[in-house]
Amino acid sequence: MECGFCERRCRLGPEGYGYCRMYRAGETGVEERFPDRWCATAVSRVETVPFYHAWPGARCLIIGTAGCNFECRYCSNAEVVKVDPAGLTDIMLELSPKALVDKARKHGCHAIVFSVNEPTVSLPSLEQVAREARAVGMPMGCLTNGYATVEATERLAKVFSFVNVSLKGLSPEFCQEFLGVPDAGPILRNIAALARKVHVEVTTPVIEGTNDHELDAMAAFLADIRRDIPWHVFRLLPEYKMQREDYPSIEAISARIEDCGRRLDYVYFHNFIGSRWVNTHCPSCGTVVIERHSLGCGGDKLDTFHCHGDLCPSCGARIALCGSHMAWNIKEATA
Amino acid sequence: MSLAILDARQWQQVVDLQSGRPTESDAPATEMVKGLLDRHPFPGDRDRGSNAWVTDTALDLIDRYAPGFAFLSYSQQYYSCRYSPLSPEERREHVAGAFAEAARFAAASGMTTVLVGTGELVPAKTPIDLENLDGLAVTSNWCAHYAGLYDLSARDYDALRHHPSLSRIVSKQDILDLFGGGPADGARLPEYMAVAATGGYFKGTSLRRLLMIPEPSTVIPVSANLGPVASLTDIRAQILSRLAAGERMALALVEGVGCAEFGVPATSCANGLDWFRYEPGDAQFLAISTGQHPIFQHNGGYRYYLDDDEHKPYPFSGYFTELPPDTIGEAYSGRSIAVGNRSMFMHVCTGCDVTCECFARNLYNQGLMAVIHRQDKME
Repeated sequence: MECGFCERRCRLGPEGYGYCRMYRAGETGVEERFPDRWCATAVSRVETVPFYHAWPGARCLIIGTAGCNFECRYCSNAEVVKVDPAGLTDIMLELSPKALVDKARKHGCHAIVFSVNEPTVSLPSLEQVAREARAVGMPMGCLTNGYATVEATERLAKVFSFVNVSLKGLSPEFCQEFLGVPDAGPILRNIAALARKVHVEVTTPVIEGTNDHELDAMAAFLADIRRDIPWHVFRLLPEYKMQREDYPSIEAISARIEDCGRRLDYVYFHNFIGSRWVNTHCPSCGTVVIERHSLGCGGDKLDTFHCHGDLCPSCGARIALCGSHMAWNIKEATA
Repeated sequence: MSLAILDARQWQQVVDLQSGRPTESDAPATEMVKGLLDRHPFPGDRDRGSNAWVTDTALDLIDRYAPGFAFLSYSQQYYSCRYSPLSPEERREHVAGAFAEAARFAAASGMTTVLVGTGELVPAKTPIDLENLDGLAVTSNWCAHYAGLYDLSARDYDALRHHPSLSRIVSKQDILDLFGGGPADGARLPEYMAVAATGGYFKGTSLRRLLMIPEPSTVIPVSANLGPVASLTDIRAQILSRLAAGERMALALVEGVGCAEFGVPATSCANGLDWFRYEPGDAQFLAISTGQHPIFQHNGGYRYYLDDDEHKPYPFSGYFTELPPDTIGEAYSGRSIAVGNRSMFMHVCTGCDVTCECFARNLYNQGLMAVIHRQDKME
């Protein structure tokens, strides 16, 4: 039986779990091995994921499961996603879809955001959660590597109203060596497809000397879809198999992305403490319309929201936002 | 205005500590601290060089600032033992490495160095799942034994009272009574607190598998060169007394080490009151630094996120909305420094003039942060 969730299209048998080890062949089709099991639930800011243009200021329940369909050499969550998920079941939380949504509400969260591993590997469970969340008006978002099939991408777009896709590299050589997949074609296809249906932001972790020369081409690709797609250029932290590598140069990368700002309305550079590139400027007049602090991997946070609704307070131009500004301690979701 | 210097390796940013906003400073102290951070990049929480980083950085700062008091934390062995699968021999090596670094600091600085162990670690045996309560259980990444409980139903309360992995359920009033608080002191206390039995820990927000957790210890060790103290809250007065007499002193916390493994001659002191025992963490650091029990403000199970709104002051200081008063560095009128590899604890918990700490969160190494609280003492 072929798994249709991601572009690996693994062959599944009763004992064969596929690359992500999260699905098996059941009597009626592909089944999840660990439905309703969550490896993390934490209260955090939507800016941490990061989403800078979706529900600014929202308090979110961050969730994740186990497993992944990529083999990123710099994975920052390798201790969860690179081990056999079966070995994590004793510490994973078992929560029904309703219990998970109730938990989000009890914590006063406005949204649920899947951000630890890859949502494609737990899609049926997430569809159940989305049904419960929709019933109480709670939006859902996710961070994804975008390596889903066309069909699974359609399903992701029904679950999540805001999605941040990691566009990690363009060249097949990079994809093979650093991600463990043949090429970026499916990811590019899915970014375009998702941007037609839901709010999309894009994140690119930069490895100096490896994919930084592709930044301009990535910006051009995104601008061809929509120039108001927010783009987060991430300074890569050397993790997992790249632990001994150097930290990328902030000065060099900031110089590279300066030109990208001419193609795209919202270009950010962060994932390090004190970044100066985390505020939103009005693309029309340049006024700072949203101010943030960059706490690096500890999470970014909203400082001041200056917009009037989604309008620049200075010139009245529209700022691309999905959802409204949320005060941190408003407990009811208002989606 | 306290300045923070953020160092993301080869890139530094000076901000106002309270607002988090970039600011300019061309004061000699700023340049001195920038150079310090540049010379000592942080190797990482679990890196074998992490404790040497504490010693090297502190000695460098002493050379340039000549303090009378230094507050240090050595935490590499604590992080490694919590999350790395170490053999007993490897664990002993990590602990011995911490004491070797403290000894190197004492010899090179010439300061009378008082060591305090923050308590034993034991294997993490029993994960406790409180997720399916009608009410809400609040835990945090670094707190294994306490969970705050809110809006419990009768069904919840009954289930918790008979839970085999809990040692007790205590009410807010129980906590107020134990620590002598009035009703106004209870704002940040949970309605109830669940206390795990030894070896038990609450399934919480951490992604990583916990391998060892705090015991937690009834008593913790204090090196014998301080003389006898009855409680961890008595350490501060003894240190201040020796400083007042003109002795150059250092206080070094050796994390995750209890009386059984302490590497120098020691006495022991109480690590809490009655059933409450401190885990290694900000509350324990503050109890040592302020000489007061801080649990009305900083306790396991506090819904810290309620305070984390826009314009929250001190954005780089975790959930703290103000810097705790009466810390040991504040009380000492001479020059003071603090250097440690336990997150933001140095600038929050010590009150020293110049503090230097790793900016690592959940073991992700972002770099360093230094805080200059007292520029006036440098003039």
